[in-house]
Amino acid sequence: MAKFLEYVPGESFLHRMNPVVKVLCALLISISCFCTGNLIFLGVVLVMDFALAASCTMMRQAAGLARAIAIFSILLALIALLTTPTGPQLVALPWGYLGWGSVVAAITVVVRLVACAIPLFLVMYVTQMSDLANAFCKIVHVPYKYAFTFTSAVHFIPVFMNDMSGIMEAQTARGVEFDGGALKRIRLMVPLCVPLLISSVRKTNSAAIAAEVRGFNLRTCESGFKEYPFARLDAGAIVACVALVAASIVVSMLVPPLF
Amino acid sequence: MLCLKDFSFKYAESDRFALRDINLAVPDGCFVGITGAAGSGKSTLTYAMNGIIPHCYPGDFFGSVIVGSLDTVDASLTDISRLVGSVCQDIDSQMVASIVEDEVLYGLENFGVRTDEVEVRLTDALEAMGIADLRTRTIDSLSGGQKQKVALASIIALRPKVLLLDEPTAELDPASSLAVFELLREYAHHHQTTVIVVEQKIALLADFADKLVIVEKGRIRFDGAPADVLAHSEELLEIGVNVPRATSLVNGLRQRGLYRGSAVRDVDEAVAVCEEVLA
Repeated sequence: MAKFLEYVPGESFLHRMNPVVKVLCALLISISCFCTGNLIFLGVVLVMDFALAASCTMMRQAAGLARAIAIFSILLALIALLTTPTGPQLVALPWGYLGWGSVVAAITVVVRLVACAIPLFLVMYVTQMSDLANAFCKIVHVPYKYAFTFTSAVHFIPVFMNDMSGIMEAQTARGVEFDGGALKRIRLMVPLCVPLLISSVRKTNSAAIAAEVRGFNLRTCESGFKEYPFARLDAGAIVACVALVAASIVVSMLVPPLF
Repeated sequence: MLCLKDFSFKYAESDRFALRDINLAVPDGCFVGITGAAGSGKSTLTYAMNGIIPHCYPGDFFGSVIVGSLDTVDASLTDISRLVGSVCQDIDSQMVASIVEDEVLYGLENFGVRTDEVEVRLTDALEAMGIADLRTRTIDSLSGGQKQKVALASIIALRPKVLLLDEPTAELDPASSLAVFELLREYAHHHQTTVIVVEQKIALLADFADKLVIVEKGRIRFDGAPADVLAHSEELLEIGVNVPRATSLVNGLRQRGLYRGSAVRDVDEAVAVCEEVLA
């Protein structure tokens, strides 16, 4: 089973797309989410995100991600709920009121964040980090040093998560009980960040040395063995995503807010 | 091919020397085994040989380390890496790609190997390590032994003059360890490559190495043919290096004047010696 942000091999059209186009399309979808506050439009984008996830058998990862982002955006949703006094009043507040418009604003915040995050994360699951770095280097001419730094950072996320779970398992074996509320878990996990930090620094240092002794400093944009040509599929994806951004702008201009 | 002359090194953050007065010469095509107790300075010795010291770890550097015609202090780490291919102890942190093929390609791309030659080197390296069938597998799905072979393949694809391996069988069972060493020997023989292996399993080293180096508290205690080094089994045990029981048994017979031949390395040789003594 794939870990968080770890490449999952496959033959879906998302897998076959040019890495640069994948990132560009994910960004365009995210931009479209911020171009409009129309909840129905955002809902459509969210459904489209899940359809994309289903096309590359990543529904489980997408659902997990959606849940995680929804939880993280609760605070923002709460702020929107309490500071957007629009629509028919539901509850009176000392500084205004909480109305149907407030509820829609809160839901919009959550849906928008989930809808814009899923494509970005899907890119990580359907693209090898080395392809991402090489393609950006060859096509966009991003210096390899920066492309490699980014992809290495992503590459190490599952490694560090694995380390953290190993440290937690070792602590559990010594009687520490991680079951219980989130606050208790956080309180117990904070001291474990020190050994994690130490092992992370050590691993990062080893990785840097290992890369250097394999000629990292000689790398240029022309060094990549693989080619990343653009295909019709990529052109179609770009057109579709640009159309989505245009639609979001049109919706925001023409469709009046619900409340 | 590789020569350390009066070499001493003290890490910047340490107040004692990690290595002291090291004199070691490794001829071309030689298979050298380095062992010693934990903390004796074996890994530091490999860092000195592949230029990581002084280029990545600062400290007080005395003497000289010459690789081919390069002085590791003057030459850049990249230039040294063209001659010395290194596989470090922590295999997981060495992996940069998610697919086996990409992992092997990484070094080839960096060193600018010609495109028409890349495929040949890639295939050869995977076949030499017996992992051609793993080419499209994700690194994460591999066992410890398979990852080890991928790490070796990614280095031998660069066709270095010297292969420097720090505990390449640390996470492997005896059968897999033997397989890795056999692959290494075969590869080194075919490509005239010098192999330097740091390893705790002295019996394995003794079977494959032409030269055995024992490090004790930052100094070279023994340096010679495996049979000559293993003849000092009691001293080796004193410094924390386990020797095969068959070797200790035959060395006991030697001490008692019952046998005058050289030290043995495995049970079969010990049985032959015992039969000779009893005859």
